[in-house]
Amino acid sequence: MILKEYFKTNGLMMGWILLGLTFFWIVMLIVLPQLYMFELSFHPHLPPPEMGGPNDYLTLENYKYLAFGAEGNPDGYNKVDLAVFIRTLTAAAFVTVVDLLLCYPIAYYLGQSTGGGFVRLLVLLLIIPYWINEILRAFAFKIIFGDSGVLNEFLMFFAVIDGPIDFIRANVALYAGLGYAYILLMIFPMYNVIESLDRNQIEAARDMGAPWWMIHKRIVIPYAKPGISSGCTMVFMLSAGALAAPQILGGPSSLWFTQLVYQWFNTGGNWPQAAAYAIVLLVACLIIVLSVMKLFKVNMGDIGK
Amino acid sequence: MKSESLLIRIGLALYLIMFFTYLIGPLILMSITAFNSAAFPQITPWEVLSFEWFPKLFNDDRIINGLKYSLIVGFFTVILSVSMGLAGALILTQIWPKMRATYYTIIIAPILVPGVVIGISTLVFWARINTMLGLEPDSFLANGIFLTVLGQSTFIASYCMLVFVARMQRYDTGLTEAALDLGASHVKAFRRIQLPFLMPAMASSAVLAFLASFENYNTTIFTHQKFATLTIVLSQKVRYGIDPSISALAFIIVCLTVFFALLNEVLNRRKQLAVANGAPVEAVTKGFKLPRFFSGNPAAIMFAVFVVGAIAVITFAQVYDPEPAKQVFKEDKRAKQKIAIEVMQQKALDQQREKQMKGPKIFESTDKKKSGENPGQETFGSVFKTDNLEEAAGTTNKTEAVGKNPGKSAFGSIWKSGNLDEIAPKDEKGESN
Amino acid sequence: MSSGVDVDLKNLWIKFGDFVAVRDANVHINGGDFFSFLGGSGCGKTTILRAVSGFLDPAEGEILIGGNNMVGKGPNERPTALIFQNLALFPLMTVWENITFSLEVAGATLGERRKRADELLDMIALPDQGNKLPSQLSGGQKQRVAIARALCAEPDVLLLDEPLSALDLKLRHHMRAELREIQQRVGITFIYITHDQGEALTMSDNIAVMRTAVIDQIADGKSIYDDPSTSFVASFVGTNNLFRGKVTDISEGIATIDTNRSGTLRARVSTGATGKLGVGDDAMMFIRPEAFSIVDQKTETGTQIAANVQRSEFEGTSYNVYTEGNGGKEISVSVTNRGDAHMYDSGAALNLEFDPQRAVVVPAGELASE
Repeated sequence: MILKEYFKTNGLMMGWILLGLTFFWIVMLIVLPQLYMFELSFHPHLPPPEMGGPNDYLTLENYKYLAFGAEGNPDGYNKVDLAVFIRTLTAAAFVTVVDLLLCYPIAYYLGQSTGGGFVRLLVLLLIIPYWINEILRAFAFKIIFGDSGVLNEFLMFFAVIDGPIDFIRANVALYAGLGYAYILLMIFPMYNVIESLDRNQIEAARDMGAPWWMIHKRIVIPYAKPGISSGCTMVFMLSAGALAAPQILGGPSSLWFTQLVYQWFNTGGNWPQAAAYAIVLLVACLIIVLSVMKLFKVNMGDIGK
Repeated sequence: MKSESLLIRIGLALYLIMFFTYLIGPLILMSITAFNSAAFPQITPWEVLSFEWFPKLFNDDRIINGLKYSLIVGFFTVILSVSMGLAGALILTQIWPKMRATYYTIIIAPILVPGVVIGISTLVFWARINTMLGLEPDSFLANGIFLTVLGQSTFIASYCMLVFVARMQRYDTGLTEAALDLGASHVKAFRRIQLPFLMPAMASSAVLAFLASFENYNTTIFTHQKFATLTIVLSQKVRYGIDPSISALAFIIVCLTVFFALLNEVLNRRKQLAVANGAPVEAVTKGFKLPRFFSGNPAAIMFAVFVVGAIAVITFAQVYDPEPAKQVFKEDKRAKQKIAIEVMQQKALDQQREKQMKGPKIFESTDKKKSGENPGQETFGSVFKTDNLEEAAGTTNKTEAVGKNPGKSAFGSIWKSGNLDEIAPKDEKGESN
Repeated sequence: MSSGVDVDLKNLWIKFGDFVAVRDANVHINGGDFFSFLGGSGCGKTTILRAVSGFLDPAEGEILIGGNNMVGKGPNERPTALIFQNLALFPLMTVWENITFSLEVAGATLGERRKRADELLDMIALPDQGNKLPSQLSGGQKQRVAIARALCAEPDVLLLDEPLSALDLKLRHHMRAELREIQQRVGITFIYITHDQGEALTMSDNIAVMRTAVIDQIADGKSIYDDPSTSFVASFVGTNNLFRGKVTDISEGIATIDTNRSGTLRARVSTGATGKLGVGDDAMMFIRPEAFSIVDQKTETGTQIAANVQRSEFEGTSYNVYTEGNGGKEISVSVTNRGDAHMYDSGAALNLEFDPQRAVVVPAGELASE
């Protein structure tokens, strides 16, 4: 009945094309690959011909490995990988918070200004770095933060420091690069929401004698909440899932969790193990984002606006 | 009150300056390094203005191939993700209201799933399909380009879908009804009325999809197999040794971005002006004192300046020959180095003397260091060739110290980092003298 | 162009889930009439229009156009054309493409379309504007283009959904005349939806006044105004003074009402209410402000009300006098300015006399909300 209506609306051919494309996208690209990866993470590492053969069985050993490490591990748990996991999530959260603090004033300024030529120029300037390749952006930070990078040379020239500081090892480069990489995804959701805030509301509050922090606390921030949460979600997920920036800007001793996944996958060739790690990353990120969204009472529908 | 608002203004201005320095500064610095003849991308020390990294870039086969694969992948990704995004958005408007939220969550989810997860899942899933169908391991389904297009489209289609949904929210369904009322079939109404309305969204989602595909790394690194796209090639280059030809590439990309951003701005502004005056574009742009293109359009002026600047730079690069300047630089450097080395020698001699005075035990302990410096002096003349100099000139401070006592091979084994660090500050002084 | 096609709604029910939007509507519209549905917002008038044009199906009943039942047919299969409230001109098509869209759908050649477009552009007095985009036209011009687009489809019935509501007052008055003129020229049936009684009264041959989901009265403008069938119609159309009371006598179409505060009054029973009122029933009596005349002589015939002037205003063609009757009863009076009328001082005592034939009595019922 409804399908009949549907084909009447779209026409037979177009109806099928639409259904086919959506089906392909949802089933073949989104749902099944994730499910299969999930399933694979419960299998042992076998050469491809033996997969599904008699040596194949379901196991939790890939997850156990993340928690407890290899058998006979003296620590009792997988100290290294778990530390990487926790550091990745906390660092991503840190980057998110810094981006939020950095971007809120800009988003507010751009959103509430009356859109003259100057503001348009600023928006243009905001967009340009975003279209530069992620790798090149990381590369730029490597140039800046390297031992003989611009920053070290600058500081030494003015004799602030005696010898070069190893920004890479201290992860300064990495955090700066990650914050930089996703800064736009923080600004634009906030900017879009704040732009739609009626200026009169702010004027009215000011008229009633509210100080500026009160205006933000009671009017702007509650209104901008969907934008803020959307921006934070994007930045957090992308930072936690970043691979290029840690590979290029990360210090030799500080791994990112995605790098472990990459190592299992490419260097180790152990797909099930990599799948398990990827699942853990995905689930952890989703739990964090969903609980934060719940905490701030924001809907899924607000994401991506 | 007045002074307070002035304070706020100054604070805001400072903040804006800092923020945009953070945003734009790295790109400018990176671009500048493309014009330094030093072998390592750096600004200080500045050697000689040079365009040599551009030809080097264009002659790099891996980069060229990467670009080729990026374009191929981008092309198919645009087609697949724009059509899937449009289909998804159209279905969203027609699906049972009860299912809408679930459906939306599913098609928006790929944006939130980390790229590495999408990359891995795409690869393992299609590898499984491949074995299930009993195909060869190098079949079409295992092809790197095929997998990369699918992996990228998984989430890029979500971006496109969002663009379409945003546009559709502004669509007046009354228009479709009007068309139906005038006798059009549903299909005709869609093609003639709604689809044209969606065209701008189609264009912008296509651009978005292409750029997202072009710069994607996290997913592509897992799916590309032997077809390394430009981004993958770049990442490998950046991770294992870098040279300014990457800066050159970055500079080109920055310029293209600025070019298109300004062009877009100009065209938008022009359209706006036309609408504001309530007349067709031709009417507005007719009969102004300024060339009509620029009237009331600062972006257009910037755009023109940009184009003229670009042409000037390119022309200059054709004519400009960095060799004489390089020669001068080398002479200069050689002179400085001579001084530096003399100073060092002097110091070393002084030290030696001092130590000798203090006693034989200490002398023995510094013997190694002394011998390390001496070979440098001996081989100085023979090793000091331009090639070596150039190679060593633009590396880190540490290696620079090596460069200034040329002939890495001659005493690389002796100059260990511990010794090096001690020398480096001295060297610095020597140079600033 | 075909003309004079009747439209009939028979026992029409329209529901949205459990909500009844239109309850048992029965309407006969003569071919070639300018017919209006008049009602407040949310009364169901637009719903009826959408059912006639085919955008929604009735729960029960029939919609006949020229005697053919249209229920179940899509909007593209009906001989109707709708002019939308916001006009719904296609923004990406030029004016002439908009106008001849129905021909394009029918597969006409470019030459035919351009020719027809020129004819219609001449008719709406916008020659040489065909190559503009709708966004480059003024409000009134857009209006005319929308009409031309609808007429180009050569419909038997033209449906108009408050098309003038977006225009400013002056243009609205001008377009009323223009619409009426076009209707008379093409001679097809117009069905017009409006909440503006001025539009309905000036343009229509017949008007259906709608209360929530229900049609209260179908008649020409004069009858709607002077002879309302229900208390709703009486209070909705124009200004009226209401007197509540009980019927004490009915003879020869004249009812005697015992009102609470204004004593016993006599008035004609409305044509639509004939037979629905008996002695002892609660009734409502309506007297138009202009039905009063101010007299010196006091009589006891049930056609006079004593009142004191509260305030009065001069409105050019008339004076509005606001008075207060017995027990604080507010009564407004309109005195035509014939040159000899004058302002009344506040507090002045007046005798308001009315002709019982110009006052109506209907059964007590719902009133139009203020």
